[in-house]
Amino acid sequence: MRILVIEDDRKTAEHIVRALGEHGHVVEHAADGATGLARARAGDHAALIVDRMLPGLDGLSLVRQLRDEGVVTPVLFLTTMSGLNDRVEGLEGGGDDYLVKPFAFAELVARVGAITRRAAALEGSGEPVRLRCADLEIDLIRRTTQRAGRDIDLQAQEFRLLEYLLRNTGRVVTRAMLLEHVWDIHFIPRTNVVETHMSRLRTKVDRGFERELIHTVRGVGYVLRAG
Amino acid sequence: MRARFLHTDAFRLAAIYTAIFALTVAVLGFSVMFITRDALRTQILQFAGADNAAVQSGYQTAMVREAVEVVQQRMSAPGASDYFLLQQGGRTIAGNLPPMAEQTGIHELAGPGGHVILGMGQKVAPGLYVFSGSDLSRVHAAENRILATMLWLFLLALLVAAGSGFLVSRAFLRRSDAMARACRAIMDGDMKARIPLRGTQDELDRLAATINEMLDRIAALMENLRQVTNDIAHDLRTPVTHLRHGLEQALHDCDAPGDYAAALEAAIRKSDEMLDLFAALLRIAQIEGGARRAAFAPLDLKEVLAGLREVFGAVAEESGHSLQICEMPAAVIRGDRALVVQLFANLIENAVLHTPAGTAITVTLTLAGDRARVVVGDNGPGVPEADHQKLFRRLYRRESSRTYPGYGLGLSLVLAVAELHGASPRILVDRRPGLWIELGFPLLHVAA
Repeated sequence: MRILVIEDDRKTAEHIVRALGEHGHVVEHAADGATGLARARAGDHAALIVDRMLPGLDGLSLVRQLRDEGVVTPVLFLTTMSGLNDRVEGLEGGGDDYLVKPFAFAELVARVGAITRRAAALEGSGEPVRLRCADLEIDLIRRTTQRAGRDIDLQAQEFRLLEYLLRNTGRVVTRAMLLEHVWDIHFIPRTNVVETHMSRLRTKVDRGFERELIHTVRGVGYVLRAG
Repeated sequence: MRARFLHTDAFRLAAIYTAIFALTVAVLGFSVMFITRDALRTQILQFAGADNAAVQSGYQTAMVREAVEVVQQRMSAPGASDYFLLQQGGRTIAGNLPPMAEQTGIHELAGPGGHVILGMGQKVAPGLYVFSGSDLSRVHAAENRILATMLWLFLLALLVAAGSGFLVSRAFLRRSDAMARACRAIMDGDMKARIPLRGTQDELDRLAATINEMLDRIAALMENLRQVTNDIAHDLRTPVTHLRHGLEQALHDCDAPGDYAAALEAAIRKSDEMLDLFAALLRIAQIEGGARRAAFAPLDLKEVLAGLREVFGAVAEESGHSLQICEMPAAVIRGDRALVVQLFANLIENAVLHTPAGTAITVTLTLAGDRARVVVGDNGPGVPEADHQKLFRRLYRRESSRTYPGYGLGLSLVLAVAELHGASPRILVDRRPGLWIELGFPLLHVAA
């Protein structure tokens, strides 16, 4: 995938370029808002990684302008932690996700994967009614879950968690992503919220079946895949 | 510096009022003078006219002899003119004036002793002329008296105005100087200096009281800042020291690449911890700065608590606690959802982390007047009352909780978020066993 990084801090940009390059992405870099805007218009990128604070044209205005021009490339905002309102502003301004600096690279890679996947899914035949991975299937309308033809009774939270995993099948999702998207929690809890709910979901979905579908990625998060 | 009072508003105001008063006095004085002069002249002319008419009627009764008689009578009558002349053929036959040109009507003429006489001349019969008049110096004297009075009044007003302007501005200067002195003392480092109050409840006193309150608040904030800075410096030493030890040890002990990887992972974990600490501190500082008020929206506490039960119910169960959340009434407040969620999450997590398994955690939402009252508590060992005040302090950790992960910022964040929402947290001292914290959120009044 071709990814454009618009980031003025040279060190951070170098790190991002290297980390994403190692994951097989082709990464371009622009160091200021004006150059970034020109490249984003011209290039056919799978995703944009945009710093909120840029010299010249700031990140939020840049993305607003792109959206006004009809460019729908998914955008991941990078913000500093001092901006408490950055998240809401960023998402309202046309961003697809945000990441607070400093961040772990696994987190960055996972989030870039999630937003490009989401964009690809939207380009397809609209919102799916069923999500499937191997012999596990959920019905988004009837809110039912089946594995190997057997009904599984999930609570509302567990269903949402499984739905998010299924939407990102084959991609690593981090704890922070789960907290934000499943529970709408925007801080890191001190108790093992994610582990507890994940273990309950696993008991229902994986226990007693031949193959495990939910895998733990040590130090990063989880992935749902058939293999 | 000596004439500083000249530059005060009080003095300027006094000067303006004085000028207006002086102008009024001048206009009034001249008006009175002109009216008086006019009235006196009219009076003189009235007397003269009456006298002339008497002479005329005397002449008509008994010719010149009677006219002379009338003049002599009039000269001693009260309320008559001062000067008379009855002349026949250019010769004075009665009166106290020398012969003159026979001018009829109102006119002024020079009298004896340089006096000016105002009067009226009239021809009584062919060859017979009468003139009656009065000394104008009477009028001039009256005018001068009026002018003099007005001048004295004017000078007095000027004196009073200047004096009171000086006194008022000096009193004002004295008090503003006191304020300036207090401010300067604070600038010089005496944070305890305050503006003296006079107890008069006037506007300056109220201003001074407000400034003193502001200074108290600033002093408290500075003290808080100082303490936090100390604590941060102190608390950060520990993780940085650990990080350094770890790295040093790795450098010394590691042989295999695997060992280095493990040491580096540990180092990254340690730096993440420190970054988390900074993030938490910044977050609290931002919340205290009120940055999030812009994101306030109506929000139902019942809904928030129900969501938290779903998230933390399982967590509490997993660690052997029970979490009971009673959120019967709907309670709509104005607030920031993400922060309010974090506030209650912190309280619930505190209870989960700091009480032994088997402890029951209870959250209740009730309505009390115009407030939504939320009580979060547990029946665990609790916290000694002596430590209650310290609980909300930044970076404060009780000895017994040092074995758990954390920085002692959970309750500081609770405090910051609660105050942002107008809900000061209170520890319920009487409620035992365990630790019970009560928060009263102002309910949103929806226009019916």
